[in-house]
Amino acid sequence: MDVLLKVNGTEHRLAVDVRTTLLDALRERLELTGTKKGCDLGQCGACTVLMDGRRVLSCFILAVAAQEAEIATIEGLAGENAPLHPMQQAFLDQDAYQCGYCTPGQILSAIACVQEGHANSADQIREYMSGNLCRCAAYPKIVAAVQQAKPLMEGS
Amino acid sequence: MPDGTHTTIGQPAIRIDGRAKVTGMARYASDEVVANPAHAFLVTSAIARGRVRGFRLEAARAVPGVLDILTHENVGGEAEKPQPMSGGDTTTTLESDRIWHDGQIIALVLAESFEAAREAAHKVEVDYEAETPAASFGSPGAEEEVREAGEHKDYKLGDAAAAFAAAEVKVDARYGTPTQHHNPIELYTTTCEWRGGKLTVYESSQFVYGLRASLAKQLRMDPGDIHVVSRFVGGAFGSRGGITARTAWVAVAARRLNRPVRLVPTRDQGFTIVTYRAETRHHIQLGATRDGRLTALRHEGWEVTSRPSQYNVSGTETTARIYACPNILTKVNIVHADRNTPGFMRAPPETPYMFALETAMDELAVSLGMDPVELRRVNEPERDPATGKPFSSRSLMPCFDQGAERFGWKRRNPSPGAMREGEWLVGWGCAAAAYPANIGPAACRVTLTAEGRARVQIAAHDIGTGAYTAIAITAADRLGLELGQVLVELGGTELPAAGLAAGSSHTAGICNAVAKACEGVRQRLAQAAVTSNEGKLAGLDPASLTLSAGALRGPGGAAEALPKALARAAPGALEVYAENIPQGLPPESIGKVYQGQMAMSRGHSREDATTYTFGAQFVEVRVHELTREIRVPRAVGAFAAGTIVNPLTAYSQYMGGMIWGIGAALHEATEIDPHAARYVNDNIAEYLIPVNADVRSIEVIMVPEQDSQVNPLGIKGIGEIGIVGMNAAISNAVWHATGRRIRELPIRIEDLL
Ligand code: FES
Ligand code: FES
Repeated sequence: MDVLLKVNGTEHRLAVDVRTTLLDALRERLELTGTKKGCDLGQCGACTVLMDGRRVLSCFILAVAAQEAEIATIEGLAGENAPLHPMQQAFLDQDAYQCGYCTPGQILSAIACVQEGHANSADQIREYMSGNLCRCAAYPKIVAAVQQAKPLMEGS
Repeated sequence: MPDGTHTTIGQPAIRIDGRAKVTGMARYASDEVVANPAHAFLVTSAIARGRVRGFRLEAARAVPGVLDILTHENVGGEAEKPQPMSGGDTTTTLESDRIWHDGQIIALVLAESFEAAREAAHKVEVDYEAETPAASFGSPGAEEEVREAGEHKDYKLGDAAAAFAAAEVKVDARYGTPTQHHNPIELYTTTCEWRGGKLTVYESSQFVYGLRASLAKQLRMDPGDIHVVSRFVGGAFGSRGGITARTAWVAVAARRLNRPVRLVPTRDQGFTIVTYRAETRHHIQLGATRDGRLTALRHEGWEVTSRPSQYNVSGTETTARIYACPNILTKVNIVHADRNTPGFMRAPPETPYMFALETAMDELAVSLGMDPVELRRVNEPERDPATGKPFSSRSLMPCFDQGAERFGWKRRNPSPGAMREGEWLVGWGCAAAAYPANIGPAACRVTLTAEGRARVQIAAHDIGTGAYTAIAITAADRLGLELGQVLVELGGTELPAAGLAAGSSHTAGICNAVAKACEGVRQRLAQAAVTSNEGKLAGLDPASLTLSAGALRGPGGAAEALPKALARAAPGALEVYAENIPQGLPPESIGKVYQGQMAMSRGHSREDATTYTFGAQFVEVRVHELTREIRVPRAVGAFAAGTIVNPLTAYSQYMGGMIWGIGAALHEATEIDPHAARYVNDNIAEYLIPVNADVRSIEVIMVPEQDSQVNPLGIKGIGEIGIVGMNAAISNAVWHATGRRIRELPIRIEDLL
């Protein structure tokens, strides 16, 4: 079936199996492999992308159901050699990862966490970032990264 | 930059691969783009023991887009079973009709799309000839291989039985640890592509040369015709150390289809197609004098393994050398069950065995009425108690003292249940951590270019450990460059060989090799400079010249900018290849690494000294008085691991290890159906790993330590030590909070009701 996906401001027309998830469409068809598959079951958060600004699990959304939305993936946050998004910079500065596999999902989730107004305290960040598993267990540094980026994102 | 600076070892540095990781540009194995891949989906066994009588494949074949289905019937002869990394034989997969364990790979479905492959895999019907499986310890049919004490790597010093019988104070207790699975967030994917007779394998690996060699043997190929690529690894923790069965079948599939094949297994398949940490049991007897000196230490362990495997972790190698004790007896037994073959998982021996020893030590402290830290001090040995060799360095007590200070340990009321806060029972516990300082051989090529940049090539593995950056730091330090002037290539068999990234050995192995190649560069530059007829360094002793801040420098301030020094030594670029053979290993050990074999100088088997990393871990737990919910609000770990190459990433590694310890002590256990010998909670919603909200304050103290004996750079390794003491520190804290001594992990609410 033909679908039209708007990803990082670019429209892509492609034919997919109706069962294809947004995650597989991004990774396997559009070669946007920054979005990761960690479980395909909605359990890990590695596949987190933003749909119309809201964080969603792309393994839990069929590509056909993602057609109306503006989809943002990790690749769209900063161009090559362009300055990083404050959240990307914060993850870099704080060493808020090890293997980096959960990181794209963490960063998109963290951006949404700030925008939702759920980053007002370390406790709140911990709670609202708990849908993104990090097996390397960078959690305290992820909290620090969100705290570093928040004021920059809010332009203060 | 003759007047500039340069990066040095020990200076915190942001990862050089960090930008790639935060922008989604880092290519993990399944991110590598291959043209028009076919998609594979595994069919795994629904029984744990027996045979496949036959398949009914009509329904599966009828699914649109299906290309091929591999089973033992059509491809069984095309690959040998993989060689296990250690310990006996291993289970077969598609090589025969035999079923060794639940979830064993029995067929591979190939289709145009992932969705079609998955649908068809679910339509494969299998007729089994099932036998009753044995699940674990105590299951009917499980075979215990009883060994005599002193056999194997066991220790027998003095007369532990008599000393225990005569001891004034005793602890005699049994402990248990559960089955655990690594569950890195990246799935166990494999992509294979053939070009002519040559095969490229994209698979996340902790040992690309090992993967290549084992696969070559399985497929009866020349290893030189296989290229393994693993630039980024999405977590490993031991799970990607040895080859597993899947790789060869994906390669065979790609050859049959004459087209690249990509396998992305499911999360639950990951529980059975790779290794895991098997459950263990322990019996410990400690005897001591009234002033706390150990007189007897007996540690006997039992470990589960698969039917054909001899794999075991034997953590008694560590528990026998922590404390001074004249009478030591250790023994390890293995129990064969119908399970997949276990393997390395973060601090494979120490995580379970040190839980037992360090909980027993806490019990001894309680029996003696002694502070647990002081009990460790009283038993601090002069030399390795198991062998009598000196320690190259041993900072266990400085770790305890600095950790205790930061934690505020002296404010601890020793009575259990005495430190409540509101509705919460507060408990403080501590434990020692120890892990051998291992190192493997490695080769490396360093190229210095006319612009004064360096390229370092080494088949190292960055499994999240910061290897890219550690290599760049070492090269920058030795060549007198800035970090940004060093380019690192790793993770592929086209590069000079490095060994297995495991056993906390990798940073030591690769950084020493890089330093050696850089020393070769310095010598070449120095030789050319001193033998020249012109220049400020002419005629000087080449050994007196150093590379720093972008220049070759002599004593008394004479210096020459790097491009100039280089132009004299080599036209264009200077390339130096070096092999580093760690102390105690034969020169041919680097050849073994090239052949994909394990070669490692281990901290407890060196001739000259015992080399170990030590640490001390302190934990506060809170147990709710009514619900018995258990929380860990804070933990402090103090570790001394020799030279720390990059304190920024080292902190992350120690911290990650400590959080793994929280998971191991309180959350993680793979539940096994005792009748079906099947893992029940085989997903990461029900296999509980720590989430962000489970973790509060984690403090890491890096206790300074210099060790010039362990290896030239003095690096001991840090990947595992962070987890080692956590299990016991938490169980000891739970005792302190509640008065309940829990000797089986994980500790859950129901244990405290
Ligand atoms: S891959 Fe989507 S939540 Fe894990
Ligand atoms: S950085 Fe490895 S899983 Fe989060």
